[in-house]
Amino acid sequence: MSKISLDILKEWSKLGHRSSLGESLVLLARERSDVVVVSPDLTTTARLVNFEKEFPDRLFNVGIAEQNMIGFTAGLAREGLMPFAVSIAAFAPMRCAEQIQNMLGYMNLNARVVGIEAGCRFGPLGNTHFAMNDLAVMRAVPNFTVICPADAHEIYKTVIAVADHKGPVHIRLTGAPGSPLLYPQDFDFEIGKAIEYRPGKDVAIIATGSVLWEGICAADILEKKGISARVIDMHTVKPIDTNILNSVFKENKLIVTVEEHNIIGGLGSAVAEYKSGFENVPKHIMCGLGDNFRKIGNYEFHLKESGLVAEDIAEIVVDRYKLLSV
Amino acid sequence: MEKNKLIEEIRDKTELMRRDCIEMGFAAGSQGAHFGPALSCVDIVATLFFSVMHHDPNNPDMPERDRFVMSKGHACMAYYAALIESGYIPKEMIPQFKGNNSILCGHPSMNMHYGIEVSTGSLGSGLPIACGMAMAAKYKNEKHKVFCVVGDGECNEGIIWEAAFNAAKYKLDNLIVVVDINDFQLSGMTAEVMPINLDALWKAAGWDVSYIDNGNDVEEVLQTLGEVKKSEGENPKVILTKTVKGKGISFMENNLAFHAAPINEEQYKQAIVDLNRAEASR
Repeated sequence: MSKISLDILKEWSKLGHRSSLGESLVLLARERSDVVVVSPDLTTTARLVNFEKEFPDRLFNVGIAEQNMIGFTAGLAREGLMPFAVSIAAFAPMRCAEQIQNMLGYMNLNARVVGIEAGCRFGPLGNTHFAMNDLAVMRAVPNFTVICPADAHEIYKTVIAVADHKGPVHIRLTGAPGSPLLYPQDFDFEIGKAIEYRPGKDVAIIATGSVLWEGICAADILEKKGISARVIDMHTVKPIDTNILNSVFKENKLIVTVEEHNIIGGLGSAVAEYKSGFENVPKHIMCGLGDNFRKIGNYEFHLKESGLVAEDIAEIVVDRYKLLSV
Repeated sequence: MEKNKLIEEIRDKTELMRRDCIEMGFAAGSQGAHFGPALSCVDIVATLFFSVMHHDPNNPDMPERDRFVMSKGHACMAYYAALIESGYIPKEMIPQFKGNNSILCGHPSMNMHYGIEVSTGSLGSGLPIACGMAMAAKYKNEKHKVFCVVGDGECNEGIIWEAAFNAAKYKLDNLIVVVDINDFQLSGMTAEVMPINLDALWKAAGWDVSYIDNGNDVEEVLQTLGEVKKSEGENPKVILTKTVKGKGISFMENNLAFHAAPINEEQYKQAIVDLNRAEASR
């Protein structure tokens, strides 16, 4: 697959993760005749209009029916196609979790489930439209790989990488249109291998999804306060990259996980689960959404409410880091 | 093959399959087995495997095979029995049914070495998968058919109707569904548990509907399945098939207690007597 020009990446970033996904799928489908898309009446919402225009016989709009979407996807995958089932994360994987487990995970099919607008970006629409525990569910489905890209470029890299991956994959997309482009240059992307976004010796900020940006900005603030922060892009939440965690346990004094997900069951939990097998490992701060239903408000309001902004992340790190030094 | 000879051959297979079901269910011991829903569809499954479907036990993955999906996965004994009598599964595996580490799971678990096409068990899961398989065949311009056996109780599930609407939208004329109407589901008669008009619903969903009045009569099942397989209509096809729950075993027929139950030694012997008598009376 070809590299994407900076201009296109900037355009995709402006348009948001849905367009990044939709356009990436178009590029993939041009190379691979086995790539098909299944949509539960979200062709427009999920920015799949260009895909449908170019490949009308390869986009299946199954109507507002997420359970059947997964079964249909399973059948397509069972016959050797490479289907991407794309829905709003609040509805897939959440509404059809049982079908995902029994029809995709159990048979270890090469199907991809993409949840757009995960987390709480649909802020004013209310709790029915948030996906706050989808990682908790999908991490616990055997055979599934779970990936949360951080920007437009990583979405493209993810789409290309999963096309050659064996077994079912869940792709979780977060972030608003206009999210920054974190990878303007070409970069190596490998499923299951975290990216060391920047080195640092004191604190390790491990983030997944679009809030990686907040982690990077928090590292800038910490740097000014004399705390050196390493930033890790843990794009693959399952299987988690234990090699990089091993190096964090050895080299860093404090771990901060950052995710737009309930603090129960997501990235922070995955890190803690692995960490629990070791002694003398760094303390761990989990930044994420609280275990509560939310008031409505715009995206900025939600991120601020949950402390998922750089200033708040930096502040909590500074407070905790002081205690370590005592 | 001459028609009457074929019918007799399929009947021979149904007798062997019912014996296999009883042996498997008895081997499951106190865990019990879904006798009723398996025995009701033995004649349907046998007719598919021993005449209607194109398949090759020596080449289970053969690309041009017709696909079989047992959506009512709890009736897996009928499916396994067909695979045993076809030669996919060795007969020696019967005692392993529901055993530790066994291939013969209480609901089908995909294993193409033994001819098990897809995993089912969660009711409603087989039909949407069959729809996807039929869609893929059309996309790839492959000419095989996809057969799917659905239970009447299973039609309570909303996903059945999601799949039914979708199959009609995409004109999956290569998909043939047989609804096994044995009139019972777990807690009672389907007419009482959830009274729905299957005929009207399938028609409203846009399917071509056919009927088998006696789904335990191989001659009628063969006749209708053969006609439907050859029919040219552009819609997906469903055959509403009236059967008898627990068919062939005197104390199981139309007896809800044997939807899923263990059988003891005495009941096992009675079942064998019933099967011997049926064979002798032919």
